[in-house]
Formats: sequence, C-alpha cells, structure tokens
Amino acid sequence: MSLDSFITDRQTRWSELEQMVNRARRGRLRTTSADELERFGILFRHASSDLAIARRDFPDAAITEYLNQLCSRTHPLLYRGSPVRLSTLPRAFLLGIPRAWRSAWPYMLTSVATLALGFLAGWIAVYLRPDLRASLVPASLFDQMARGQVSGGVDYAPLAAFDIIQNNIRVALIAFAGGVLLGIPTVLALVSNGWMLGTVAAAVSIGGYNLQFWSLIAPHGVIELSIIVIAGGSGLMLGDAILRPGQLRRGDALSAAARRAVWLACGAALLLVVAGCLEAFVSPSRLPEGAKLAVGASTGVVLYLWLLLAGRRRVVVEAPSLDRAGDAIMHAGGYPPHNPLVKPG
Amino acid sequence: MSSAPPDTLSVRTADNVALGYTTAGVGSRIAAQLVDGLLIGCLLLVVYAAVAAIASSLTGPQAPLLIALIFVGAFFAVVFGYFLVFELVTGGRTPGKNTMGLRVISLDGSAPDATAILIRNVVRIIDLTLGIGVVVMFFHPLSRRLGDLAAGTVVVRDKPKLSLAAAAAAPPVLLRTPDPGPSIDGIERLGSTEYNALRIFLSRPGLAPELRKRLAGDITTRLLSRLDLPPAAPERMWPPELFIERLYLQLDQRLR
Repeated sequence: MSLDSFITDRQTRWSELEQMVNRARRGRLRTTSADELERFGILFRHASSDLAIARRDFPDAAITEYLNQLCSRTHPLLYRGSPVRLSTLPRAFLLGIPRAWRSAWPYMLTSVATLALGFLAGWIAVYLRPDLRASLVPASLFDQMARGQVSGGVDYAPLAAFDIIQNNIRVALIAFAGGVLLGIPTVLALVSNGWMLGTVAAAVSIGGYNLQFWSLIAPHGVIELSIIVIAGGSGLMLGDAILRPGQLRRGDALSAAARRAVWLACGAALLLVVAGCLEAFVSPSRLPEGAKLAVGASTGVVLYLWLLLAGRRRVVVEAPSLDRAGDAIMHAGGYPPHNPLVKPG
Repeated sequence: MSSAPPDTLSVRTADNVALGYTTAGVGSRIAAQLVDGLLIGCLLLVVYAAVAAIASSLTGPQAPLLIALIFVGAFFAVVFGYFLVFELVTGGRTPGKNTMGLRVISLDGSAPDATAILIRNVVRIIDLTLGIGVVVMFFHPLSRRLGDLAAGTVVVRDKPKLSLAAAAAAPPVLLRTPDPGPSIDGIERLGSTEYNALRIFLSRPGLAPELRKRLAGDITTRLLSRLDLPPAAPERMWPPELFIERLYLQLDQRLR
C-alpha cells in the first residue's frame, strides 16, 4: 500500500473524528446523540488501527505523527474516571469518612501514639529540667501567668489568629502529604505538635493554671488534635505503602494508598471550619470554665460517635438477586461473601 | 517500549495500539507553575479586597477571629480551588500549563479523575518545600514530581497541532526524469518498504550534490543485492541516481 492511497482512502474518517474531538473539547459531548457517540468510538478504533499500520509502514511520515496526535487527543475523552457528582458528596462525606477512618485504625493508633510521645517528652522535659524551662516555653506565657491572664479574654489580634489557623491547616496538610517522603515529615509534625502542647501544658501546670489553660484549649482543641491525628494517620498510610509495598511496585502501592487516604485527610481537614468557629466563639468567651470543658468534651463525644458508628450498616438498594442469595448462603455457612464491588465497611 | 527515548511515555490503548506522549521537562513545568502562581496572586488580591469589604462591617468581641477565619478560608479556597477546578474542568490544563502547552494525564493515558487531581495538588505543598519536587523531577525519567508519583499522573506536552492537510500533503518528489525507463528485473521482490525509503530519499531537498551521489550509491548497492541481478545486468551500469528514480517510478506504477 502506498502512502498516498493510505491517506486518500481513510482521510475522511480521520477528519470526521477530528471534528468530533474538537466539539468534545469545547464541552459539547453532552449534546451528542447516542448514535454519534457510538460512531465516535468506532472512528477512534479505526484511527488507532490506522496508527498501528502507519507506525509499521510509514514510521517517518508526517501522517504518522498526525494520527498519533489525533489518537492521543481522543483517548482521554473516551477513557476517564467517573465524574464527581455534587449530589453524592454529602453522603460520601458523612458515611465514607468514618468507614475510611475505621479501616485505617492501625495507622490512627500509631498516629495518636506518636503525638502522645511528643506530648510526654515535652512534659517530662519541662518538669525535669527547670533550667531549660525558659528556652522551652515562650517567656510571655510566664508573664501572662504572673499577671493572671491565662484565663484568656479576647486579645487575639486578627493577624495572630490568621497565623494560628493557617498553621493548623498547614500542619494537617504536611502531616498527610509528608507521607510521600516515607512519612518522615508526618512523624516530625506529630511529634513537634505533641511536644509544643506538652511543654506548655507542663509549664501551666507548674504555674497552677491548669483549669484556665485547658478550658481555653478544650472547646476547639479536641477537634483540632483529632484532625491532626487523622491527617497524620493518613500520611503514615502513604509512608507505609512505600516501605512495605507488598505485591505491588512501590509507586503503585503509594498511589493506591493515596487514593484510599486522600479523601479521609481532606474531609477531616474540612472539620477545621467547625474547630475555627468554636475557637472564635467559645474559647475566648466569658463562659465559666466548666462549661468550656463541657463543650470540648461533647465535641469529642459527637466526633468519635460519628467516626465509630456512621455507615456501619450498608443499605442494599437493588432487588435481591440470585448472586446476593448465594452470598447470603455463603455468608451463613461461614464463608465471607466474595463480591469485589462491595468493599468491607 | 524499551526503545523509546527517555522522555516519551508510551500508552497502550484498549486495542493494544501504542500512543506516544512527550513528557514535559522541568523547565516548562517551573514556568507553568510561575504563571499559575502569578494568576493566583492576582486572584487572591481581588478576593481579599472583596473579603475585606465584608470583614470591615463585622463588629463585636468575636470580630478579630471571624475575620481571620474568613481570610484563611478564602486563602485556601483560592489556592486549592484554582488548581482543582482548572485541572478537573479543562482536562488537566491550568492556565499556566496551557500557556506552556502542557497537560496532566494519568499514566494509563486516561483523563485523571478527581481523586488523582486532589492528591497531586495536596502533595504540591511538599514538592514546593525546598525545591524537593524539582529535584525529584530532575532525576525521574518521565519528569514526575512527588505529587505525580502519589497520584499516578504525568504531565505531557501538547505538541503544536498538525493539521490533516499539512500531514497529508506529502513533500514533492524531485525527479530529473519523468521516464520510468526499461523495466527492472526482479522488481517483484521489492515492496512498500523500499518504495517509501526511495520516496524519502527523493523528496529530501537541499542535499549537497556530492553527498546525494554518495547516498544514492549506498542505496543502490543494497537494492541491487536485494534484486539479485546477474553480474552483467544492464541496471548495474546505470548511474545510481538515475537507477533510484527509475526504480521509484516503476514501483509507483506497480503499487498503485
């Protein structure tokens, strides 16, 4: 077959495909009819087999590069993941995050332990080494305690608050994203945040301001720390996937773990809005200390009830089928149902 | 494909045809990031101005913290929203990537889904720290940064579009004689491969005459051995350039 006849025989099909691709690029694929869509697929298969022929017979011809371009512009239009539906997002958030959190429990426990380690280390350091106290804890804290100001009125400047809140989000993001560096930044973020809290808590405890301090922290702190723990646990998942990839290549294990962890980490980060509101309205308010502690405790109860209980029961929408009956029988007989489409909750 | 140059990504389609993509280099990706950063900066200024107008109307003891919350929210919404929305809606082309002719695709050639786009943009915070991403891209054969590794994506070059007309218009064949000459023995041994090779040779303008003659001599020697002509065949006497032109014209007639 000569190059000329190869081109003349097939070029009408190619230009038809090219027009469809251009239309789709302008977002008009939605309005095309089912017949046209089918034709789109057929034309793509023709073009890709033409590309294979051209690669073999005319490797240096311009038409080969043209066909490669045409096919590589068409391919992502035909092959893509399912689109995001806004209507399913609330449900995915309310049920999906607790499910992901529960299935990642070993990482969450490790994350808590790492944070607690930092906290304990900080606490012990301040207690055991009074000589280092001044360098471990900001001096202004002792001044405030001396003047009895730890109970906290509203003297946050907006800029300082901006820094604090932005820092929390950054810490959560780094704790998750740091997983790609074997989880080292994750561990550092967890330990250093635990350490900071531990040193300040110890200093406050020495000064005898425990109640005022914890009532200032508790209303928003319970959620905030939980978010950092969740982000850290998600980051540890990534690091673990690189270190122990199992049967997969390390890169594939990493991206599989990231796909499982990212919605958990980012969904949890959205709760920072709730924590931020509590920080704005409850923490600095003139409520009695007991009430503030109660607010903190109840946010914790609600958060962990949600994480532990939501989405445990799967609602089966489809009508019962033979497959499902089979599953039920297998299940009753002690065999786990084998259905790759239903992930264990 | 093992023979592919290192910056080429080869993707197998469902019907097992290899599509070739050229991956984007470090330089063009930094440039794209700079353009995007600039646009995000401008966007932030506009959003901050709007937010400040709202914030200034807030009063009361909670106002400072509320203002801070609103600003932080606006900051992260703009910085993340920019990349997430553009990469989702435009098929992996942020304005910065678009100006540099780049786009994001999945490693299997499909369009990246929301999860992949979320991952690569959250991990960006690590990539931008201390230039870690640039170092990783520098050493990765496909110039992927950590975010790409975690998301299973790669940034490829949108080449300048080749139109069908331009690609189909084969370069003109330069012939000194329109005469196919006496028919060559054993021509049935040759096919489209030889035809196309001859065509490439004949359509190459601007070859220095000396070089052209030498090339023609090499090609003719090989073709003669493939034709398996007897030692005394008249074709062996033709000057190589004439032989090539006549062979081309005769093959052209046969294959048409």
